[in-house]
Amino acid sequence: MALVADAVVPGQRLGHVQEFNAGVGTYSRQDFIYASVVGLKKITIENNELPTMTVERENTQSAMPDIDAIVTCKVVRVNPRFAAVNIMVVDGKPCTDDFQGIIRVQDVRATEKDKVKIYNSFRPGDIVRAQVISLGDARSYYLSTAANELGVIFGTSVAGGSLVPISWQEMQCTKTKVIELRKCAKPM
Amino acid sequence: MDRKRVPGPELSVAPLVEYPSDFKRWTPLDEIRHDPKRQPEDMRPIYLKTGLISQANGSAYIELEKTKLACGVYGPRPVKKVGQVFSGKGVLYCEIKFATFSCAKRRTNIRDPQERELSQILSQALSPAIQLDKLPKSAIDIYITVLESDGWGSCVAAAITAASVALAHAGIEMLDLVAGCSAAYIQTGPSISSSKDSIAASRPPQIFMDADLEEEKYEQGAIVLAYMPSLNEVTHVLQSGKAEGSIISQSVEHCMEACNKIYAVMHHALLESINDNKEAL
Amino acid sequence: MSSSTTTTPAAVNGLATSPAFTFSASTFQKLHPTEFFRNFVSQGVRPDGRLLSSFRPTTVHYGVITTANGSAMVRIGGTTVVCGVKAEVAEPKLDSPDQGYLVPNVDLSPICSNTFRPGPPSEQAQVVSESINRVLKESKVLDLKDLCIEEGKAVWALWIDVVCVSYDGNIYDAALASVMAALKNVRIRKPTYEEGVVKVPGGEAADDENSFKLNLARTPLSTSFVLFDTSLTLLTDPNFAEESISQGQISVTIDEQGQLCAISKVGAASSSQTLLKQCVERARKRNEELRSIMNQ
Repeated sequence: MALVADAVVPGQRLGHVQEFNAGVGTYSRQDFIYASVVGLKKITIENNELPTMTVERENTQSAMPDIDAIVTCKVVRVNPRFAAVNIMVVDGKPCTDDFQGIIRVQDVRATEKDKVKIYNSFRPGDIVRAQVISLGDARSYYLSTAANELGVIFGTSVAGGSLVPISWQEMQCTKTKVIELRKCAKPM
Repeated sequence: MDRKRVPGPELSVAPLVEYPSDFKRWTPLDEIRHDPKRQPEDMRPIYLKTGLISQANGSAYIELEKTKLACGVYGPRPVKKVGQVFSGKGVLYCEIKFATFSCAKRRTNIRDPQERELSQILSQALSPAIQLDKLPKSAIDIYITVLESDGWGSCVAAAITAASVALAHAGIEMLDLVAGCSAAYIQTGPSISSSKDSIAASRPPQIFMDADLEEEKYEQGAIVLAYMPSLNEVTHVLQSGKAEGSIISQSVEHCMEACNKIYAVMHHALLESINDNKEAL
Repeated sequence: MSSSTTTTPAAVNGLATSPAFTFSASTFQKLHPTEFFRNFVSQGVRPDGRLLSSFRPTTVHYGVITTANGSAMVRIGGTTVVCGVKAEVAEPKLDSPDQGYLVPNVDLSPICSNTFRPGPPSEQAQVVSESINRVLKESKVLDLKDLCIEEGKAVWALWIDVVCVSYDGNIYDAALASVMAALKNVRIRKPTYEEGVVKVPGGEAADDENSFKLNLARTPLSTSFVLFDTSLTLLTDPNFAEESISQGQISVTIDEQGQLCAISKVGAASSSQTLLKQCVERARKRNEELRSIMNQ
C-alpha cells in the first residue's frame, strides 16, 4: 500500500513557527506548528512572507454556518416579525443535520425596510438563498437577504405549480400564470 | 414494566456453572498471565478501522481480541436540548452503551450508573483534545456501543482510543489524538495463599498491562490513562484500588509507553482512511 | 465509508441546472431529494449505481460474540447489525408449564444514524421487534417445548437482542437474517435440575457432548421493497435515502421450502395484485441467494 508521504494526522508536528505561518487545518503551540485534522500537508509560498503551512482536510467536517457564509435554506414558518428557516446547505456543502435560522423583517431587503411585509416576501416551503449575519440567539442563526442575488430561488404557487421570477419582487406560477409576491433572488 | 419492548419473563437468571473437580482455573499464583503467551507488559493486539458507520460523520471500530466496540461521531450539529443557552463553545456529549449480550451476565436495557460513569470519563478524557472554541453553538455527539467486553479497564481505554480516531475521521479539529491504556496491579506468586505473612505484603504487585476479565478478578487496583502522545500531555487518569506511590508512577510510565504504541496503530488507521478515500474517487 | 456515487453525466446535467440556478449534485439532492431520485429512476438506475432490482452486497458472520450463546453479524450494504442470543433460566408461565421463551428485541440506538435519539426504543424499533416476534411465533420456527428444563419449574429464556451498529435502510431484512443466523449458532450447555437449582457443566469448550443446538423447524428470511413515486416503481433492498422518500414498503418473508411466512405492506401507496406477485417472485430468488450466503 503506497501511503502518501504528506499525509498527516492531528497532533503531528509540522514545523517551527519561525519557518511557517499556521494556516488552515493547523495550529501553533509553544513555538511549533501542529496539524489539527487528518489530511495532506501543503506549503504555499508568497512573496517576502513566511510560507504558510496548511493541511487539506481529507475527511471534511460536516458543514456548519459561519458569519458571512452563503446558505440555502427552506422556509418552515412565517410570522409578521420574521421567517423561520432550516439551513440545509452552507457554501455549497449540504449539512447532515439542518440548522435553524431566522430572517427578521428588517433583514429582508436593503431599502425601504419599513415597508417590508414578511408575507409578501416568503412563504413556507420556499427555498431561499441568504447570508449569515450573526450567530444569533441560543437557537437560531440570523440571516439576511438584503442583496440582489439573495432571496427566494425556488417556490411553489398556491396552485402547486413552480414559480418563475418575473421581477425582483414578483414570481409567476407556470401553471396558472397567477403572480405571487416574493423577495426574489437575481439569477446568477 | 417496559412496554416498548417485546416482553420476556419477569425474572431470569444465568444458570449455575458447575466446574469439574479436575478443572483448573487461572490464578495469579501461576506467576504467568491468563493468556500465557503474554508478558506482563504486553497488550493484546489491536485492530482498528475507520468508516464502519455509513450515516455517521466519523466512525471507528476497535477490537482487542475479545473486547469489541464501535464508535460513531455525529456533528458538529445543532444542539437539540431544551432550555439551551447561547454558548460560544461547542458541547461534547458522550454516551457509552453495553449491548445486552456483551458481558458474561446479561445486561438490562436500562442505562445503569456504570454506563453513566464511563460516559463521563470519556468526555473528560477527550474534551481537552478537541478545539471546541471553533464550534460555537454546536454539539458533537459521540456514541459508543460495546459489543463484547473483556475487562472493564481495557474497555474504557479502547473506548477513548476509538472515540478520538472517530473524531479525527469526522474532520473535527483536534489538538492531538488521545490514546487510552489500562493496567492492573496484581499480586502474583505463591506467597499469597499462606497469608498473614509479612513477606507477601512487602512483595510489590506486578503491573499487568491491558488486563482481561479473568485477571481483573484478582486485581488490587487498576489504572486507566488517557494520553496525547505527540503533545506529551495526560488528559485523564483514573486510579482505583490500593497501591504504593512508586507502583502508580511506574504504571503511569508503562501506560504512556503503551500509548505511544497505540498511537502508531491509530496513525495507521487514519492514513488508511485517506487511502480509502482516494480509491473511492 | 465514502459511498461511491456512479452518476450518469446526462442525468446530473439535466437535474443540476434548473431554469436560473445551478447546483452541485449533492446540493440538489439535499434540496429536492424526490426530484433528484426521479431523474435517476427514469434512466433505470439508482444514485448508488444499482439497478432498480439489484441488492447490495450481503455478508453473514457467525459466532462473533463469545459472551453470547449464539451470535451473528449481518451486513447488507451500509447496514450492519449484530445479534446475540443469551440463554437464561426462568420460571415457565402457569398456562404453558413446559414452554420456554423467545424474546426478540431490536435496538436502533443513536450510534447507527442521526435520525435516532437516545432514550426508549423508537417507533420503528418497536415495529421491527414486533414483526420479528410474530414471524418467530406464528411460523413456529422453534418448538418452545425444546426449551423446557423441568416442567413447571424451569425453562430456558432465549433473549435475542439485535443491535444495529450502522443504519442504511432495510433494517427488517438485516435484523431477521441476523436473528435466524444467531439462532442457528446457539449452543446451550446441557442442564441438570436439582432441588430448584439449574446447573450446567463448565470448563472445556462447548461441544456436542456437553451442549445442545436448537432444532429449528424452518428459517424464514425476508426481502423488502419500497414503492417510489405515484408510478409505483419497485425498488429492491432500499437504502436510507430511498426509504425516506418512498411511498410505501413491502416485505415478503419466505422459508426454505419457498412457503410464505409473512407479507407486510405499509404506507399510503396502494399496490396492485401484479405488483405483489412480482415482489413474491423476486423475493423467492433473493431468498435462495441469501440462503447460500448464510450456508457458506
